[in-house]
Amino acid sequence: MSGKLQQAGARARRVFANPGALLSIIFILGMIAATLSARWIVPYDPLEQDLSSTLEGLSAEHWFGTDELGRDILARVIYGARTSLLTAAGAVTIAAVFGVPIGLIAGFFGGWRDAVLMRIVDVLLALPGILFAMALIAVLGRSQAAALVAVGITGIPSFARITRAQVLSLRKRDFVLAVEALGGSSTYNMLTTVLPNAWSPILVQVVILSSVAILLEAALAFLGVGIPPPTPSWGEMLRTGKSYLYDAPTYAVLPGLVLTLTILSLDTLGRRLATVLEDRHEAGDDA
Amino acid sequence: MIGYILRRLAQMIPVVLLASVGIWAMIYAVPGSPIGALVGENATPEQIKEAIARLGLDRPMLVQYWSWLTEAVRGDLGQSIQSRDPVTTLILGRMPATIQLGLAATLVGLLLGIPVAIISALAPNSWIDRALSGWSALALGVPTFWLGILLILLFAVQLHWLPSASAYVPFFEDPGLALKNLALPAFTLGVYVSGIFARFLRAALLGELKADYVRTARAKGLRERDVVVGHVMRNAMLPFVTVVGLMMASFIGGTVVTEAVFTYPGMGRLLIQAISTRDYPLIQGCILFILLIYVTINLMVDVLYAYIDPRIDYS
Repeated sequence: MSGKLQQAGARARRVFANPGALLSIIFILGMIAATLSARWIVPYDPLEQDLSSTLEGLSAEHWFGTDELGRDILARVIYGARTSLLTAAGAVTIAAVFGVPIGLIAGFFGGWRDAVLMRIVDVLLALPGILFAMALIAVLGRSQAAALVAVGITGIPSFARITRAQVLSLRKRDFVLAVEALGGSSTYNMLTTVLPNAWSPILVQVVILSSVAILLEAALAFLGVGIPPPTPSWGEMLRTGKSYLYDAPTYAVLPGLVLTLTILSLDTLGRRLATVLEDRHEAGDDA
Repeated sequence: MIGYILRRLAQMIPVVLLASVGIWAMIYAVPGSPIGALVGENATPEQIKEAIARLGLDRPMLVQYWSWLTEAVRGDLGQSIQSRDPVTTLILGRMPATIQLGLAATLVGLLLGIPVAIISALAPNSWIDRALSGWSALALGVPTFWLGILLILLFAVQLHWLPSASAYVPFFEDPGLALKNLALPAFTLGVYVSGIFARFLRAALLGELKADYVRTARAKGLRERDVVVGHVMRNAMLPFVTVVGLMMASFIGGTVVTEAVFTYPGMGRLLIQAISTRDYPLIQGCILFILLIYVTINLMVDVLYAYIDPRIDYS
């Protein structure tokens, strides 16, 4: 077991040997820390209005300025991070909880199960992700739960496809066939033999899909169909900030910058992780 | 080949049918009554009675779905609650604007993406390759709505060179004015697309560079540039066509976000307006329309791909 831990440690060191990946993880951890401690470190309530000081520029008092209702933009950006991260976590969980078993069953059994499950996945792919999410929200109505579910469902196909591809490559390997020959049930085989060997692309997908989910949530809010106000959301801030480009240009620019850095960080981390884990397979250091 | 097309069609039909059931069932899933969803919540009793009779809402569900589907196939998607215009007319009215934006953005994407990919592939893992890969990552990671806002701030608010809201001007009526209106949205969307193109084409080029014929071409003394542009490009273009095709498909359905940034009057804005006014027949129509276009282009790309690459096994 300690050998495995050492291996994991060595891999983690390889991931963070890359300066981009290191910066990314620092940024993400910093943001998580800021959202967790927001109550103590942010001197302003993100919902508190002050109509005597609206659309102010950057100042020592309000680092990111104030919005059209006099609310502190920095506070709203930090609380908006909570909205984004929670939506991403929830959406990726939904996507994985449905997508991974679909891919596992389709790839393991093949045949009619594969055909039926993959056609269902195809239906989810019959529309670009954002439109699928918009259609769902049109039905469910605009709410935080609707945004989360909509973003989650659009992520199901990528988990299903990646898991299926991985399972197909493992299905005829000796150790999987051995469990079958020894009379292990299919469920036992899938959960204890196939899945533990298929996890690395799934993990990469978790990271990459988090960035996609954050972008999608922000885009929906920007379009006015995402999480409804007054909950602070980066996309909603960009939407409103866009109306005040002449009076307060930083209003839309700064939340957008934080959003962009978050997406880039997660994407960089995901791709670095993919490179390191792919090398693992080539080096053949586990099997 | 014909067998292949038929097989792909046979795969596509159940997907489209399932999706159409989903779109049709929308009005039964929304809060309130389906009649309210179809004629608006403030409809008068006469309007409701008329709608029930016209749409046959008192018939069994399966019959209702069938008549909805057959009418949709004939191009009748019902009428908008807001404007009372036929949904098909509204959608077709917005199509030219979205197609024009999609084509312009694809052009920008190709002009930016192809050179980036070629330069990267000529010197893999060099500093310039890493810099250009970073640029692709940026192009893909920066949300289009933020990039659009930055461009508006620079070119409209600061420099006053371009309008901050883009109108639709048909290119052949007034090319100058059309370009002025298209510049920002097409660039915003084009930058994103160029990231996809560059990443994909670079990988395809590097894959081809390992092939035997490349070694032969190098051995007979060709310059590296001629090897890449003359030999490798041709083969790498095959998978690339697929990606370009897929991107065009999502343009026609999408560009939603870009259209919102620049208040550009395309399909995407029509759909957003429909959602915000809960105009369900229009929402259904837009989504069904986009779905059909998306699926059809995907099919066409597959077929085109099989056609231009004779190595593809149709079975």
